[in-house]
Amino acid sequence: MAQPVPVTPGGSRRHYRPTLRLTEFQLLIAPALLTIVGLLTIYLAPRNDLLWSWGDVWVSLVYAGLIAGASIVFALARLRADQIVLPIVATLAGLGLLIIQRLQPDIAAIESGLAGIASRQVAYLTIGLVLMVVVALFRPAMPLLRRYKYTALVASLGLLAVTFVFGQEINGARLWLSFGPVQIQPSEIVKVTLLVFLAGYLDEKRDLLRDNWKVGGLSLPPLPWLMPMGLMWAASIATVVVLNDLGSGLLFFGIFLVMIYAATGRGLYVGLGLASFAIACVVLFQLFGRIAIRVQNWLNPFVDPYDSGYQQIQSDYAISSGGIFGTGLGLGQPYFVSQVHTDYVFAAFGEELGLLGTMAIITLYLLLVLRAFIIGLRADDTFDRLVAVGIGSIVAIQTLIILGGVLRVIPLTGITLPFISYGGSSLLTNFILVGLLLNISARRSRG
Amino acid sequence: MPRSIRLFALALSAGLIVAAFVVGGDQLSDARWLAVLGLAWVLLMVGLWVPIPIGTATERRTVIRLGTTFAAAFVVLGAQLFRMQLIRSDALANRIESGGDGQIISNPRRVGLGLAVRRGEILSADGATLAGTEEIPLGWGRTYPEPSAASVLGYYSPLQFGTAGIEQAFDRELTGVETGNPFTEVRDELLHRSRQGNDVILTIESGLQRQAATSLGGRAGAAVLIEVGTGKILAMVSNPAPDPAAIFAGSYDETETAADYWDALLERDDRPLVSRALTGLYTPGSIFKVITSAAAIEMGIATPDTVYLDDGVLNVSGRQIIENNRPDDSVIEWTLEDSLAWSLNVVYAQVGLQVTADGLRDYARGFGFDAAIPFAQPVSRSQLEGQEGFLDSPPALADTAFGQGELLVTPLHMALVAAGVANAGQLMQPQILDRIVAPDGTVIREGQTEEWRRAIRPETAETVIEMMRHAVRTGVATGAAIEGLAVGGKTGTAEIAGQQPHAWFMGFAGTWADVTPRHAVAVVLENGGSGSIAVARDILLAAADR
Repeated sequence: MAQPVPVTPGGSRRHYRPTLRLTEFQLLIAPALLTIVGLLTIYLAPRNDLLWSWGDVWVSLVYAGLIAGASIVFALARLRADQIVLPIVATLAGLGLLIIQRLQPDIAAIESGLAGIASRQVAYLTIGLVLMVVVALFRPAMPLLRRYKYTALVASLGLLAVTFVFGQEINGARLWLSFGPVQIQPSEIVKVTLLVFLAGYLDEKRDLLRDNWKVGGLSLPPLPWLMPMGLMWAASIATVVVLNDLGSGLLFFGIFLVMIYAATGRGLYVGLGLASFAIACVVLFQLFGRIAIRVQNWLNPFVDPYDSGYQQIQSDYAISSGGIFGTGLGLGQPYFVSQVHTDYVFAAFGEELGLLGTMAIITLYLLLVLRAFIIGLRADDTFDRLVAVGIGSIVAIQTLIILGGVLRVIPLTGITLPFISYGGSSLLTNFILVGLLLNISARRSRG
Repeated sequence: MPRSIRLFALALSAGLIVAAFVVGGDQLSDARWLAVLGLAWVLLMVGLWVPIPIGTATERRTVIRLGTTFAAAFVVLGAQLFRMQLIRSDALANRIESGGDGQIISNPRRVGLGLAVRRGEILSADGATLAGTEEIPLGWGRTYPEPSAASVLGYYSPLQFGTAGIEQAFDRELTGVETGNPFTEVRDELLHRSRQGNDVILTIESGLQRQAATSLGGRAGAAVLIEVGTGKILAMVSNPAPDPAAIFAGSYDETETAADYWDALLERDDRPLVSRALTGLYTPGSIFKVITSAAAIEMGIATPDTVYLDDGVLNVSGRQIIENNRPDDSVIEWTLEDSLAWSLNVVYAQVGLQVTADGLRDYARGFGFDAAIPFAQPVSRSQLEGQEGFLDSPPALADTAFGQGELLVTPLHMALVAAGVANAGQLMQPQILDRIVAPDGTVIREGQTEEWRRAIRPETAETVIEMMRHAVRTGVATGAAIEGLAVGGKTGTAEIAGQQPHAWFMGFAGTWADVTPRHAVAVVLENGGSGSIAVARDILLAAADR
């Protein structure tokens, strides 16, 4: 018997050897099968027969190939990044892919402009996954972002201003910028730039912000260094008031509050923030009928059942009709809920996948959030840590805002459900955030 | 936070949510539930406020706190999902509200589901289709080939008004939700198998039902025919009743005519949507004398031959009771038997005073007053006294003893009383369900013959039966007599202030050879003079041919 040849540490360094990302690859089997079997169900359910060919599920095969490809590229590039994040995100995005495929024929029959959403969603997912891979592998990403934090601030404010001037109003809210055939939702980009600015600024000034400001004999909060934060606070209120975009305003404010707490650990800031939020709520409630209507539809949508309450009533009916097991994918009637492919997409899951499906989905979101926080905890650098926590918080807050609204736990403020709702801007920015998260998780081991 | 406080907070928040689920149901308003959720969230955060070692970097500490805060919020979302999709799932999915403009808002899925399921048919005991199923473009439609059964069937309107009557009472079986086997129910739901409705076979016999409807004609009122030994309802008619064929709409176009018909129903003064046989409460008038007689005989106060004095007027604690019913005003001595036959109020006022308030209460309750009648559909409770202690005043007791006072009864209950007397004093539970048959022919449920309550001893019952037969032989109710049958019965004329009196008849019939009569009947005609006797006679005659 030959003795095994001992492998000397460092000896392999000269030879190229890919990192085995076995955990990730194994975990990716679930979303791959889910999308293939799911799409087959959607295809077969209304036909009531069992005849099919691989061509019917080509979309899912492409998707399975894409996520496996991303994992393989990571392995080849020897990325020592977290292996749990991608499978979770791939499952959520796969569910989004399925539900848009499932909804398209039904909602296109109601609104012909929506006929192409399924193929567009596939395109966005492809671009999103590519962007994620690029961002994850782009080593100088974090130092660059740290250096350009004030640029990010200017970009955030600039984007909001541009949206105000040139934005298109759809359904009462000014959310969209048009570039010929391409429409983008600037608030989704602001989400990223805002995060970068806050993390960079708070990382730099955190010691100042943790102490009090001594002016003569007075001990005050460090007002001068809080000024840029005040600017951000004003920007989020302006988003609500001027752009009429309640969801994004709430999200910006949430990010702002979470980041300042994460960096300083001072309950005072949280208290001040929540107090100013409460005052803003009361004032806005008095000034804007739109917000009063949201509150009314939250407590009893049947007050205005044909107009403002309609969507909420239909969503309640859809979700409760699902019961424990749901009707099964493709067998329900989620198209009664208007705009079910965007803000109310969860109602479609509620009806067709039932309680088991919805619980699985919110568990996936919670796992993703906690995973981002764990990556933040493990990060060596405070900026990295703040960005990771910020990404987790964005996913958490956005999910809580929209699901809380759809399920009538809080008044509805429209925002997309990360990775699932239809929409290019939302999908692309969320994949960029995932890329950043992977990038951060890899930096620690890279040293 | 100390460990004990954390555990307590966690247990408390879990307990709060579980308690809200258990108590919840329809009592807990949405606003209160949201308050429970908010409180649970705070308690969860307290429970997850884990100790962090001193010296941990601020940004690490804050990450943990943020993580637990978000985790608690997701748990709250999960609790809401449990409420919406499990605890309150049916209530929310079936919620029906008025749109404020006369339109009804309901779950649009009910439309598709209602018409998509092949609903089971409703058949009579002799196999006639009462409610049928036929294929229509949107799925499965409903036909009602037997108009006489309309008042029993209720209506089925998946697109608009829901269900009523038998269509409602056995809706889960008719739609196949309930198959009698909980295992297959869960399996079919899990596998999303399409459901097939079960057929419901009633105890109603189509010939008798048709006879009852014909005899009542268009007159407002009700008639119930019961098989004495089993409590099976062989015919039950309420007039007026809505036409279920006009209420059912199988397409969106038909919903408009159905809505017009429905609106017209709601505007009518005679309230056709009230099922009179089950929920119509009427003053019984003299038919209640049967119960007073039973009490007096069983308590040993009187026999059929006991003689009472009736000189046309009786003064009870200052209240004058005038006698109008004596066939011969020159006769002032009347036996109890003849008093029942001629329905003498002055005599029964005296009997009532002898029986006493407590005695009358005992026997009235024995016959099912103030009790919920066990039945597949809701039945109004018959009332002995409007408020507690009413009978304790002698004039009230006297009035009640001959059927006025504050008495209110349903036709079904009076049929049960007649059947109970005929059945040797044993009241049976009324049955309308014969059996439920699955699409593959297996019987998944059968109606059960069950005793309800014993009202009087068999000997007493025998005496009362004889008295009622005597009433048909010689008294006011001779019109009910049928050649070759032993008919017993009692008429009633319920005085209503300012209106024509309601006409009642309650009785039974059997061949002489039978010790126990086979069929019992109760008929009421609103403001109907005395026509009820003929209606009852027709029905009993038809039933004798069974």
